Amino acid sequence: MKTFNKILSALLFSGVCVSSAAHAEVKISGFGSIVAGKTLGTVEDPLNPGTTRDEIFTADFYDVGQYTNDFSFQPETVFALQVVADLGDKLKVTGQLVAKGTDDFEPEFDWYYLTYQATNELTFMAGRRNIPMYYFSEFAEVSYAYPWMRPPSNLYWWQVTQFNGVTAMYDFEIGGLSSTISAFYGNEYSNDNKEMNYYDKLYGGNAVAVNEFWTDIMGVNWNLSGDFFNLRFVYFQNDRDRETIAPDGNIADYTPFSQQFLGLGGTMDLAMFTVLFDMNMVTYDDAVGTEFPTYLISVVYNMDEFHPFISYSKADQKRTKQPNKEDYEEHYLLSYGIRYDFHPSASLKLQYDQFVDQGDKATGWAYHGDSDTITVGVDFIF
Amino acid sequence: MHKLCNLNRPTLLAGSLLLGMASSFSAAAEIAVIVNKANNSSLDKVAIEKIFTGRMKSFPDGNIAIPMNAAKSMESRDEFNQSVLGRSSSQVNAYWSKLVFTGKGNMPMELASDTEIISTISSNTGAIGYVNVSSLTDDVKVIAKF
Repeated sequence: MKTFNKILSALLFSGVCVSSAAHAEVKISGFGSIVAGKTLGTVEDPLNPGTTRDEIFTADFYDVGQYTNDFSFQPETVFALQVVADLGDKLKVTGQLVAKGTDDFEPEFDWYYLTYQATNELTFMAGRRNIPMYYFSEFAEVSYAYPWMRPPSNLYWWQVTQFNGVTAMYDFEIGGLSSTISAFYGNEYSNDNKEMNYYDKLYGGNAVAVNEFWTDIMGVNWNLSGDFFNLRFVYFQNDRDRETIAPDGNIADYTPFSQQFLGLGGTMDLAMFTVLFDMNMVTYDDAVGTEFPTYLISVVYNMDEFHPFISYSKADQKRTKQPNKEDYEEHYLLSYGIRYDFHPSASLKLQYDQFVDQGDKATGWAYHGDSDTITVGVDFIF
Repeated sequence: MHKLCNLNRPTLLAGSLLLGMASSFSAAAEIAVIVNKANNSSLDKVAIEKIFTGRMKSFPDGNIAIPMNAAKSMESRDEFNQSVLGRSSSQVNAYWSKLVFTGKGNMPMELASDTEIISTISSNTGAIGYVNVSSLTDDVKVIAKF
């Protein structure tokens, strides 16, 4: 490993010194988290009233990473390797190979894209990237980049997180503030979607696969940052369709609809405190007028290497075109924890999460169930 | 991320007033921000901070700025991060990790010693870095001290 590191350093360093590279300059970096945890008790089974089951906490909705009463490293442990090859003439290619516990550590290229630096201010990217939904969406897996174990999973809960498409990014200054506007367009054909298949099974289905399609994803992100704050506004819309495939090959009827996603999030540094927040509204133009208002507020206290934090996040579902607008999915997550930067490239985190399911029990919308979860992990970058 | 904006200014003022006897007032070594001798740009602390956080990509004269970091193990890096960027090295790394792994920025290059930093800057017109004042040579130009 040491020899490997030396070769890498030599490669990186040769890149530093050669100003007009005739060869592709390759940089390797990466990030990862070794996380373990468990839920702490039992609850009444929301879908089988009168019986109890172990608490289940979904830490990662997209990959269905769930903690149960059994202490496990599987739900959130992740290792990612990023390779960036500079092809010269303003063109770069980036690949991110990610191995997750939820996929039995089988590495997959989650990200791969070309970057064309047209000018100092204008950048084009084409390929596979995360959809910039919430404030932390694009780097949700880079746990080293934020204080908590994970962005609150009761908001970061969508069955689609990535897309294939193009992004244009423009940097400029307004009154001393740095500003970036990005516009993006793309599609995601998520065949055999893991999260949707999980819900099908949860409600007693026997689908062989659920295919989820988000198409014509188009939107804009505006980032504004100053000395002590960072703000991000997002709007995007897309069409949604789904195929639930039965064992006999039949495809269930599904009415496609479009969705709009609106959000404002950011971070603020106030003396010893950092405040992080995210407010979002997702609207469907479906027959019942579904809306998902969600928000997050978190405060971190910074004292040298120690960063204790508290975070509250709430998700709700409303059906604006039905007589009963309120009694659907609803839950909040109250989290306490501490990040300890014990090494220049690694941090240790300990977190307690209280998930409270406020969904309507009578109609089966309280399907998550309450949970108390403790997780401990080390995040690193290299 | 915690910033010591309010605390830094008086410290800096005191530092520059008492330059000659700074060592007796400050436990930290003094850091010099250096550029190539051909670089005639003048940069204030905010501009240096912007260059080292990837928010400013060129010097006032229009030339591309290439920031150079000291290696992670070097004390000058912690000193620079704390006194110029107002953040701990871990917080600066966390800031960069979100940019690097979303393809929105490149962390400044790392060089292993003050000697290497000085020689790299002396041979690259756009380079900017920092070293301990005690390592300074005539090969580079000092634009600020912290």
